[in-house]
Amino acid sequence: MNEFLYFAIFFVLCALAVAVRLIKGPSVVDRVVAADSIDILTDIALILFALYSGRGIYLDIALVTALLGFLATVLISKYLEGTL
Amino acid sequence: MTLRIIINVLFGFGAFFALAGTVGLLRMPDAYCRMQSSTNIATLGLLLVVIGGLLYTIFVMQSWSSSVKILVIGIISIVANPVASHAICRAAYRIGVRPEKEMVWDELKEGEKNA
Repeated sequence: MNEFLYFAIFFVLCALAVAVRLIKGPSVVDRVVAADSIDILTDIALILFALYSGRGIYLDIALVTALLGFLATVLISKYLEGTL
Repeated sequence: MTLRIIINVLFGFGAFFALAGTVGLLRMPDAYCRMQSSTNIATLGLLLVVIGGLLYTIFVMQSWSSSVKILVIGIISIVANPVASHAICRAAYRIGVRPEKEMVWDELKEGEKNA
C-alpha cells in the first residue's frame, strides 16, 4: 500500500522538474507544452494518491483536471494562431 | 500477491517513461523535439498507471465507481492528447517557431501555397 505514495511523490518531483522548462522556456509554445505536461503528471499523482488513500474523491479532481488541461491547450493554440 | 507485483511493475514502467519524458523536455534542443518528447508522459506514462489502477480498483479495492472513473480518465486522455498536440504544433508553425536545423521538406508551406 505504501509504495503508491512513493510513486506519487516521484511523479510530483517530475512535475517540479518540468516547471523549470515552464519558467525559462524560450518561446510561448515551450511554456504551453510544459504546462500541459505538468497537468498530466498531476493527474497521475492524483490517481496514485486516490489508490493510496482508498478514497474516490481524488479521482473526480483528476477527471476535471484532465478535461480542463485539454481545453486550455486547444484554446491557447487557437489564440496564438489568431483564429479564436 | 502476484497481482500486487504486476501492478507495481506497471507503475514502475510508467514512472520510467515519465522520467524519460521529463529529461527529454528539459534537454532537447528545439521546441518541436521537446513537443515530441513530452508525448512520452501523456501516452505511456499515463496509460500504464491507468491500467495498473484499473487492476487495483477491480481486484483489490473492488470498487466499481473508482474503476469507472479511472477508465474515463484514460479514454479522455487517449482522445484529447493527439488533438491538443496537433493544435499546438500547428500554432507553433504559424507564429514562426522553426526547428534548429534547416527543414528539408515543408509540406504545410507547399499546401498553403497551392490553396
